[in-house]
Formats: sequence, structure tokens, C-alpha cells
Amino acid sequence: MEGFLEYAHDKFLFRVKEGYRYSRDDFWADIQGDVAVVGIADFLQKARGDVAFLETAAPGLTVTAGQEAGKVETIKATFGILCPVAGTIIEVNPALEASPFLINEDPYGRGWVYKVRLGEGDRGEALLAADAYLKLMIEKVLAEAAQR
Amino acid sequence: MLNIAVMKVGVVSCSGEELPGGTVSRLACRQVLDGLRPHETVTICLPLFIAGGEEERRFAATFPTITVDGCEKRCAQRGTEKLSGKPAKSLVVTEILAQRGLALPTRRRNLDEGDRAGVLAVAEEIAKAVDEVLGS
Amino acid sequence: MSTGRKSVVLLPCSGIGKVYGAVARETAYEVVERVRPGVTALTCLPLLVVEDAEALSLVKGNPVIAIDGCQKECANKSLEAHGVQAARHLHAIDFYKSHKDLKPEGVAELNETGRRLAALAAEEIASLVDECLAKGGAPC
Repeated sequence: MEGFLEYAHDKFLFRVKEGYRYSRDDFWADIQGDVAVVGIADFLQKARGDVAFLETAAPGLTVTAGQEAGKVETIKATFGILCPVAGTIIEVNPALEASPFLINEDPYGRGWVYKVRLGEGDRGEALLAADAYLKLMIEKVLAEAAQR
Repeated sequence: MLNIAVMKVGVVSCSGEELPGGTVSRLACRQVLDGLRPHETVTICLPLFIAGGEEERRFAATFPTITVDGCEKRCAQRGTEKLSGKPAKSLVVTEILAQRGLALPTRRRNLDEGDRAGVLAVAEEIAKAVDEVLGS
Repeated sequence: MSTGRKSVVLLPCSGIGKVYGAVARETAYEVVERVRPGVTALTCLPLLVVEDAEALSLVKGNPVIAIDGCQKECANKSLEAHGVQAARHLHAIDFYKSHKDLKPEGVAELNETGRRLAALAAEEIASLVDECLAKGGAPC
């Protein structure tokens, strides 16, 4: 089983799950054949705070990579769920309706958001591998810290 | 794990609700964290620290801590000593206010101007303690 | 607190880093100071953890309403660690979910909207307090 790449800044430990692929907008995709499980990366959920409300897209919606499919409202911000892959949403994580905080508690596992049947020719190649995303994530962490 | 270590100090506030000293402790700590020493300090949430918060405990095991207690029961100091070792400095609100000749607020919230002078005095002492820890 | 008469203890999480910690705290103050004074009491969560005798006696001898500020649930976990089951376990974020027009802000001190949210939450908690008192300290 793959583990995590980790980066510690102050008391925060930011994790990047190995084996997943990542968009530059901080969403992850676990490509399993022609279906991708997608969710919100650890950095983004930590940066935006505890999820209060979640508005998800319905199964059947066809999306392009980077398209907004739903919204997350935390106490700090409201942001769009930017699907990292192109395809058709075939399932929404049912556990999130009662427990949206799973996105905070287990962003790479039980906090998954959608399963997407991948469109023609998209196997997530445009996404970043874990080690490349780690570098980007570190830049973002340092940039946010510098703004304080 | 990759860690670019920048020396910071963890500030552990008692944050107790029962007494006005807890309010002063909490407000003073936030003043330091948000205003007086924002790049040199990190807040350690005491309840989370005690309840097993992984991030809180990891930080306190690696970096120096300053505890700020609202009363002589010294929960922040005792909790920190128990879980990660002796804090670099331990401050108590009632002692600081007494040294400065300031009265402890009589209310737990809706502090007035006089009360806030006490908060600032405590914040200044915390900031001084941070400088001493980082300088040593 | 009068001896021989039950009080309901409000135990907010004492969290310092999140706005919901401030909401939990302000709500507890509203209940104890304004909405149900005289029949409710507050204690500090850190006192339980350092095993303060008076604080432990208070929570073991009276029904407790725990109000947590986040999913780490420090208040409830600390009670459980001492063999106490909360009469009610509330999450401050649920107060906001029920009153979406009152978005609280501020970590050390709540803004005006946050204080209004806490005041409303306290009014709603009042009925829980009454229920606990009516049951004479039995689980409510």
C-alpha cells in the first residue's frame, strides 16, 4: 500500500498521497482503469478549514478537466470543486451528506467526493505526480505563511 | 518527511472559561500570535494537545513552548510538562497583572478599556518571553 | 452552585484556534449568565485533564452538556476519559448550519453576528437544560 509524502510547516503536517495524481488547483485523482476517484487535497482542506456545507453535482454530469462541479463552504471561504479529470460523474460519495467533515478528517480516503468515468483519451496524464505536486504544495504553503 | 525548520515558539494558552484570567490569557496570546510576533509563534490548542492532537504534540516535542495560565492552577504548564516536557517559560496572568499593578477583570467577557490594558500588558510579557526564548 | 441541588454543567471545548471554539465558549456563557443562571455552571476543560478534584466532582455529580468546536471533540473525549457520558453532546458548527444567515467570525472574540448566533444557540440549549433538570440528573 502506498504511503504519503509529508511536509511539516510549524505545527501543520501536509500530506500528499503517493500513487495519486494532482491538479494545480489542489484536487486529486486516483485513476483505476477508466474510472477516477477524485477529491480535495490535504493542503486545500487545511487551508480552507472545516467544511460546513457541501453542494455536489449530480451523477450524470459530464465535466471537462478543471470544470467546477459543486461547491464547498467552510467557515473561512466558499470554493468550487474543480474536477481534475474530464468525464462523467457516476457516483457522489454518499457519506458526505451526513458527514461533510470527512473531507477534513480523511481527505484521501473516506473524504473522496466523486467517481468519474473518464472521457476519451483522458487518463490523467496532464495531472502532476505526487512528488511534483509536493513541490508545488510547498511553494503554496510558504506563500500563504508569508502573507501573515 | 521534508521539514524546512524555522525556529518558532509554541504558545500554549490555558483558554479556560470559568475565570476572567482565562479570557485574558486567551486574548493576550492571540495578540501575540496575530500582531506582536506573528512570524515567530504558533498557537498550540491546549485541549487538542491534551486530547492527543498529532500536530500539536509533534510541534511541542520539537520546538520550545511558552505556557500562559489564567490562574494558579497552571493547567497549561502542567499539561505541557506532562505531555512534552518543561516549557521554556511559564507565565501566569494573575502574577503579571499584580507585578504591573493592574486589576484582574471581574468579568469573563465584554472586557472594558481597563481590562484591555491588562490584556496588552500580558501580551507584552509574552512577546518578551518569545524574544528571550528565541534569543537564547 | 447550591449543595444538594443538581445543576447542569456546560463544558465548551476551550479551543483557541478556530471560530467554532469561540462560538462554543460564547454560547456556554450565554446559557450560564443570561438564559439559565443559577441552575447551570461552567468548568474549564483543562481542569479535567489535570484531574482537578473540584472539576471532576462537578462533572461526575451533575448532567453535562458538552459543546465541541470541531470534529476532534476534545470536550466529549475528555469527559469519556474520566468515565463521564455527556447528557448531550453538541457541535458548534451545527448552530451555524441551523442559522446560515449568521456567519460567525473572529477567533479570540466573536464578531456581532457570531454573538447573535451564540445567543440564539443558547436559547435553543435552554430547553435541553430544562429537560436535564426535570430528569433530576438522569440521562436526558
